[in-house]
Amino acid sequence: MCLLLSPPPPQVSVINTVDTSHEDMIHDAQMDYYGTRLATCSSDRSVKIFDVRNGGQILIADLRGHEGPVWQVAWAHPMYGNILASCSYDRKVIIWKEENGTWEKTYEYTGHDSSVNSVCWAPHDYGLILACGSSDGAISLLSYTGDGQWEVKKISNAHTIGCNAVSWAPAVVPGSLIEQPSGQKPNYIKRFASGGCDNLVKIWKEEDGQWKEEQKLEAHSDWVRDVAWAPSIGLPTSTIASCSQDGRVFIWTCDDASGNSWSPKLLHKFNDVVWHVSWSITANILAVSGGDNKVTLWKESVDGLWACISDVNKGQGGVSALPEGQQNEQ
Amino acid sequence: MCFFLIFLILPSVSARDPALHSQYSTQVSILSAMELIWNLCEILFVEAAAAGPLLLRLLDWVRLHVCDVDNMVREVLSSENPSKHELFWNVVDVFVLQGRMDEARHLLAKEASANPTSVNMYKTLDDLMKKMPVPSLGNTQTLTEMELKWQHWHEECQRYLQDGTFASNSHMESICKILLGDEDAILEKKELLATWYQFLVTRLLYSHPTVKPMELRFYAQSSMDLFLGGESSPEPLDTILMAAFEFEMHQVIKECSIALSNWWFVAHLTDLLDHCKLLQSHNLYFGSNMREFLLLEYASGLFSHHSLWQLGVDYFDHCPEYGRVYLELHIERIPLNTEQKALKVLRICEQRQMHEQVRSICKIMAMKALRNNRLGSALSWSIRAKDAAFATLISDRFLKDYCERGCFSDLDLIDNLGPSMLLSDRLTFLGKYREFHRLYGEKRFSEAAKLLLMLMTAHIAPCSFWMTLLTDALPLLEQKEVIFSAEQTYELMRCLEDLTAGKSDKQKFQDDDVETMKVEMLRLALARNLARVIVKEGTLEGS
Repeated sequence: MCLLLSPPPPQVSVINTVDTSHEDMIHDAQMDYYGTRLATCSSDRSVKIFDVRNGGQILIADLRGHEGPVWQVAWAHPMYGNILASCSYDRKVIIWKEENGTWEKTYEYTGHDSSVNSVCWAPHDYGLILACGSSDGAISLLSYTGDGQWEVKKISNAHTIGCNAVSWAPAVVPGSLIEQPSGQKPNYIKRFASGGCDNLVKIWKEEDGQWKEEQKLEAHSDWVRDVAWAPSIGLPTSTIASCSQDGRVFIWTCDDASGNSWSPKLLHKFNDVVWHVSWSITANILAVSGGDNKVTLWKESVDGLWACISDVNKGQGGVSALPEGQQNEQ
Repeated sequence: MCFFLIFLILPSVSARDPALHSQYSTQVSILSAMELIWNLCEILFVEAAAAGPLLLRLLDWVRLHVCDVDNMVREVLSSENPSKHELFWNVVDVFVLQGRMDEARHLLAKEASANPTSVNMYKTLDDLMKKMPVPSLGNTQTLTEMELKWQHWHEECQRYLQDGTFASNSHMESICKILLGDEDAILEKKELLATWYQFLVTRLLYSHPTVKPMELRFYAQSSMDLFLGGESSPEPLDTILMAAFEFEMHQVIKECSIALSNWWFVAHLTDLLDHCKLLQSHNLYFGSNMREFLLLEYASGLFSHHSLWQLGVDYFDHCPEYGRVYLELHIERIPLNTEQKALKVLRICEQRQMHEQVRSICKIMAMKALRNNRLGSALSWSIRAKDAAFATLISDRFLKDYCERGCFSDLDLIDNLGPSMLLSDRLTFLGKYREFHRLYGEKRFSEAAKLLLMLMTAHIAPCSFWMTLLTDALPLLEQKEVIFSAEQTYELMRCLEDLTAGKSDKQKFQDDDVETMKVEMLRLALARNLARVIVKEGTLEGS
């Protein structure tokens, strides 16, 4: 979290726009680990990958395989190779891999009964694991076991009506202040957060190979559209951002290591549905995008209030500071 | 500072590209402004110049940074007859306004020699200028002494003015008025002053030379008001300088943050102030964390640059609280386009005992190498990552390649594995198997035979590979000289039986002719060898 005398100045500016030539709405755009490639997915059923180094935009791949709008894409950690997961209205999750310079489908998961809305790769320390949230209310966890084989674990009825978002907690070794003897595989406690149509944000924990609901976070009055667990900067606190159809974005913090008491803070109430929230690498900036066609960046100030440090209007690419009245509503 | 170089480049650039020229000009003016602010902060905060030396420092500051008039000065001084130049009096005024008495007197002397009739007037003015008391840097006089002297001198100037000594020459009269600190007279020379802070310093020089630091704010505010005269509003630079004159350090930092487009200047300024223990004296509950916050922001920005990220590393090193974790998060995201870059990043991680990051990066490089079929590179990366699983995978690939092509790639690497061979069982087998081939090539057959057998009996070799090993044993069995001892031959037979017994009937059915023939040949060779070796071992030496 940042410590500043006053909200920082609008130093943020648009550095590039990418013309994807998608024929329909773009639902997700994700940079890879190094920020050199951009994957986009759209209602036109395709997933496109661009090389965006040095302000360029070269189309590397146009992946076809879904039979409906593709909702999200997610890059895996580069140590597993170039791997991209995509999920779609057609109930499928497809995992694509780059082999010998070409992108190919390497696995297709069809275990859900309706639209799969969200995919998120687990921290690389856990192995290659993908969480998928679906409108059938279930969350699947696909683990790569080697040789092209994937093991599936399913959490049924994770959210009534449907699950809209999944986000993994960063890998934190319990007692990480003490040196682990090298070579030993540390015992991680795997956790992830999910948001659903039951207006809830739930936190799941793996215990003895089974996934259990650990916490239920209630604050939203409408469907939760996205959840994002902030990266860890070594503090014992955990932070989750959630956004909803009700126009609100909440920041949840948990101070104790056992993960028992989460308290919400309202970031802002927007005038329209908020679709996505996303943290920067060091978790000091939160990006929020919504139906009002704006992307805003937020930072926490010294008095614990969240301030907007920029906004980018659709199609304008300009920069302006929010007028005073719109900041820090509680 | 580096922007002097830009001054050199600027003329040649402007000829070619006006857009580039204007871009560079902007950069130059920003850099000049930064240097202006930095120097003022040094004088007021770091050096904390006291009354007396404060004025001298401010005079230096103005002379160093206000360069608008330099061209004019140069033009007049280099002309054939300076006193006849139309801008002559302007230059004299500039010297007087900037307190450069000697230079002013030098020019006036030229004018005096050209106009012998007004010699007396010149002499008086010259005398006044020579006698003007200035604060001294050393402890040669106290402030009170200086003030007293200055008062007397001021009264003397006043007398000469009122007596009408300079009445016949308006230029010299206005100079005398300036010497008396007459604000209107000074303001008349607005174009030569160029900025309100120059006006401030001139004013102080001629009316309050012993100004105390804490009094600066009043003079600064009134100077700015008088100079701008309500015609124009203060620019960001003006606000920053005003905050400095008011000794509001945090305000300076805040205004700079707003005005500038990146954290470079603010981060370094704050760092300097923090090192001088100046920020801690301010009553903010997070105190010195302001410095770390700004350094973290600046360094984070550096990491998006393809080569400046290396500087970012050093900055993070100097942030005691969050620097390390920020570095851990950022360093893994540097694109590793080349091996050199990866090695550079690794060295940085290893120096700081960031073992997790080292392992992660080595794994990424190993995977990349494997994808490009560079097995040797992949193997050495996975050894460095101490990744047993990956090493096993790659060893299998090597062995598979060998089975298909009959030879090994990357022999150097496998031959020189050393203790790292023990990372994974498969890797150990690969190393030992290669050693077997080497021994065979060097015709050290009995050693090779022993090794081969050991690979099977000690279960170093995977079961899937036993057939290959037994087939490798064939040429050794068929040698003229007997190599395997009886016991060893029994062992080999046992291995073969284990292998064939392990296969179910169904598998035996599926075995093609080649497989069955191989087994037959092996049984035959083993039996023949056994026969020969029994005879050999049973024979007494020498008979």
